[in-house]
Amino acid sequence: MKKLKKKLLKLLLRLLLIVIGFIAVTFTVYIFNLDMKLTAAMEPILFKFYDRVKRDQHL
Amino acid sequence: MKDLKHLITFENLLQEANNDLITKARSEGNVCVAYVCENTPEPLLNLGKAFSARLRAPRTGSMEMATYYMTSFLCEYTRALLERALEGGYQFADCLIAPDGCSMMNRCVENMELLKTMGKDNPRFFFENMEIPMKGDDNGLNLYVLQCKNHILKPLHEKYGIDVSDAAIRVAVAEHNHVCELIRAIGEFRKGPNPTITGYEYHVITLATYVAPKAELIPLLEETLEELKTREPEAKFPFRARVVVVGSEVDDTDFIKLIEDCGAYVCADRFCCGSLPGRDPIVLTDDEDALTQICRQYMMRGQCPRYMDTSKMEGRRAYVNQVAKEYGADGIIYEQIKFCDPWAYEKMIGAADLRNKYGYPVLAVDRPYSIGVSGQMRTRVQAFIESIEIKQIQGGANE
Amino acid sequence: MSSKRIGTENFGKVYKEGSRVRTMREWRGFADTVYDYSRWLHNWVTMFTVVLSKPRNVKAMFRYRWMANYLAVPMMVDRHTQGLRGEHLRICHTEQDLIIEDVAKLLDKLFRGDRRIGNDTEFSKKVVLVDENEMQSIMMGFPTVVPLSREIASTYIPVLLNQRAAQHYIDVAQEYGLAGDVCPMPEAEAGVSIDDDAPVLGCCAIQCNTTCDGSLLGNGVISRRLEGEDGIPVFQLATPLRHREDDVQDYAAQEIRNAIAFIEEHTGEKWDWAHYFECAKRVNYATKCRVEWLEMNKTPYPQVFGSNLALYTETNYMAISGRLAVFEKADRKITRLAEKAYKKKAVAANAYRHRAIVWGVQSHFYMDFLVWLLNCWGIVPLTDMLSMVNTRMIAETDTPENREQAIYDIAWLTENMIMRNRTHGGYRVLLDELWEFVDQFNADMVILWEHMSCKALDGMHGLFEERAREKGVHLVWVQHDLFDPRIINRQGVRDQVNNYMRTVMQEEPVDPSLEILPDGESW
Repeated sequence: MKKLKKKLLKLLLRLLLIVIGFIAVTFTVYIFNLDMKLTAAMEPILFKFYDRVKRDQHL
Repeated sequence: MKDLKHLITFENLLQEANNDLITKARSEGNVCVAYVCENTPEPLLNLGKAFSARLRAPRTGSMEMATYYMTSFLCEYTRALLERALEGGYQFADCLIAPDGCSMMNRCVENMELLKTMGKDNPRFFFENMEIPMKGDDNGLNLYVLQCKNHILKPLHEKYGIDVSDAAIRVAVAEHNHVCELIRAIGEFRKGPNPTITGYEYHVITLATYVAPKAELIPLLEETLEELKTREPEAKFPFRARVVVVGSEVDDTDFIKLIEDCGAYVCADRFCCGSLPGRDPIVLTDDEDALTQICRQYMMRGQCPRYMDTSKMEGRRAYVNQVAKEYGADGIIYEQIKFCDPWAYEKMIGAADLRNKYGYPVLAVDRPYSIGVSGQMRTRVQAFIESIEIKQIQGGANE
Repeated sequence: MSSKRIGTENFGKVYKEGSRVRTMREWRGFADTVYDYSRWLHNWVTMFTVVLSKPRNVKAMFRYRWMANYLAVPMMVDRHTQGLRGEHLRICHTEQDLIIEDVAKLLDKLFRGDRRIGNDTEFSKKVVLVDENEMQSIMMGFPTVVPLSREIASTYIPVLLNQRAAQHYIDVAQEYGLAGDVCPMPEAEAGVSIDDDAPVLGCCAIQCNTTCDGSLLGNGVISRRLEGEDGIPVFQLATPLRHREDDVQDYAAQEIRNAIAFIEEHTGEKWDWAHYFECAKRVNYATKCRVEWLEMNKTPYPQVFGSNLALYTETNYMAISGRLAVFEKADRKITRLAEKAYKKKAVAANAYRHRAIVWGVQSHFYMDFLVWLLNCWGIVPLTDMLSMVNTRMIAETDTPENREQAIYDIAWLTENMIMRNRTHGGYRVLLDELWEFVDQFNADMVILWEHMSCKALDGMHGLFEERAREKGVHLVWVQHDLFDPRIINRQGVRDQVNNYMRTVMQEEPVDPSLEILPDGESW
């Protein structure tokens, strides 16, 4: 029983650490606007793809 | 060619919005019904003692006041009209009937109304705005008929006592048709290899029928038709190409003159204020009221780009092809008054279709309301004529 | 009135010259920052689960140029929530997050049916393509039909996200000979069609003569391809322009009947009255809520206002039209939050100096301009032209008489589509009613967007000025070109207000850091 309790506690602790870690990482991404900085860097790469797409351009 | 006897008379009628024939008709107690758009059924404005006058602003110079009221982004036709109205140039009109044809014309007329530019000393003066169909179908026809009743016939009868009965409408249509037949008969002379009438002369004569009381014009038109039958053409066709002019409102005869001065004969006029289809006679039968028949024919033949259904859109380009064939055109000039939204789109699509689908050389231009002596336009038309000639030399004009 | 809140100063410091994005997000105090963070997370989860988790949507991301703009969704939310705290922040998120979810679902459905991407033919058979500016009230009786607007996905939303989103398509249309002076919105939509960059799906399409001549004619470019090449039949719904006149209403109703018959014919579905009246109840509820918010905005404590009100109204009123219950929930929540804030006399900015009616067609590439107006100069945008739409209740119980009335109600709503209800209908709805609203809202200022290619608006320029002079109301012209920041950029837009406030009003900004911003390269 004690072992199980300890195991459960460990699991909870691990879960808590994961949640805290997740929040810490995502909050850092959020507050420093890192998501937008990353997507801004992706934009020119995508445009290169679009320029290569074959299109039937006409009226 | 020898000058046409009445050309100077027709030209003089175009020098002022308030021309001599309008003054004369009004002095005889007739009612001047002003209008601004080809979608207003003309015979309904010519009932009994009423006569129609399509508003123009000849010899327009500065448009500063109108530009203040409507900004420089609105088409110059509407600004020129407002400017002339603000100057008091349309006081001769006894009413103004305007369909909601395009946003700019709608705003122009609303400014005229709000700024009290017309109807001075005429307590019976009225402005009427009417809805008109955007598709050629039964529902559109019902709307058209109702709107004509409520916004043309009813006010004309109530304010000026005009007879708006079916019989009166039929009389007006008969007169209208007589004018149309004369104009179309005169227009037939453009079809030959060496025509006996220039595009400029034809435009002057046609335009006069929009801006002056028709009854007064009929003798002049009849005489001109007779004259053309025996008129000697130039020894050799003096032009380098034959073109159809297609597009928005052209009431500036200098534009047609400029094209012809550059060497392109304007063999057909598919524009607002032209004869195709504006001077198609209205065929009436006895089994239906005249009003409905007039509205149906205006709706079905209308070539205004505000008609938005597919059959009308495709039909517009097919009609240009038909006209070009009938009048033996070598090329097509699509024109729009700058800032005209409907014709901006129609010009793009029409030019592409006439070029790619129907195989004509096409020039697409935008122009000011009053062209004067535009060097730019001259250069573009000249270059277009040269391109037609080169294609003809290469044998590829209609491939 | 001044009420300084945590972190509400020097907003201009987060902008960086030459950058697409801001340097960091706003610190709003602990509780509001955590809340904002949670919504940010929620929106990313929505975008991942609805869009990015499906391979077909990733494929679409690399096929359609306009899809790149959707990378900027979180930034759009940031732009619209700048300076907001407490209930105002929550109201804004309720609106924005729902719009994001709705658009994410739209993208997913478009690519599901798209012949190039998902090619789900069974699904496509139930899709009816609708115009961008089209009241979807016509779809209220078709619960199993899926109305989708390709233009909302390809042009309307992208320009909200990225100010340059439409430039490529505008250039394409002009390369094909379209004059440069037409409205850039239908011009860009035509450009998408010409550029072969629109998803191809659906069993039929309904186009509408919406806001202006340009919009009407732009549809012609699109329908050519739809009908001529893709084999998708198109019904052109011609709604009357002079919509306040009694003698056009029968015609309008018949157009609706014809459109319904067209949809029935091509989808094989029958008009469902029970569903229609269920939606009608929600339409009325949305109207009731909007009227309540506007009533609140007439007091010194407006709560639901600015660009969020415009965007939400546009979505809820036009694109949803009572078809989705989730918007009713949102209406309820927003009303509850607004009432709470009103009781507290809560304000949304540090200073409320002027009460303004925002009129005309907004600069779409700078939709959050109203947020700037509030934060920089303390000008409260009480309401705007897009939000002043129908306030009339429609028939909502199923009776034989109401079934007839319903057709007229749909026609009325279609005639009174956003923007269209003011740009068409004569000067009374555009010119006269503005001054009535100025009185009702006790406004001392009118911010008049002058969308330079909007001829219906431009045509009243002088009379707007004359009326403002007569009434002694400050009229600030803000010129722009709707979708194209190359004509007048965002700073150019702001400078028109800056100049007026400094020279005519002789005022200093509430937040001087916002007066000049290096956001020319920004999304």
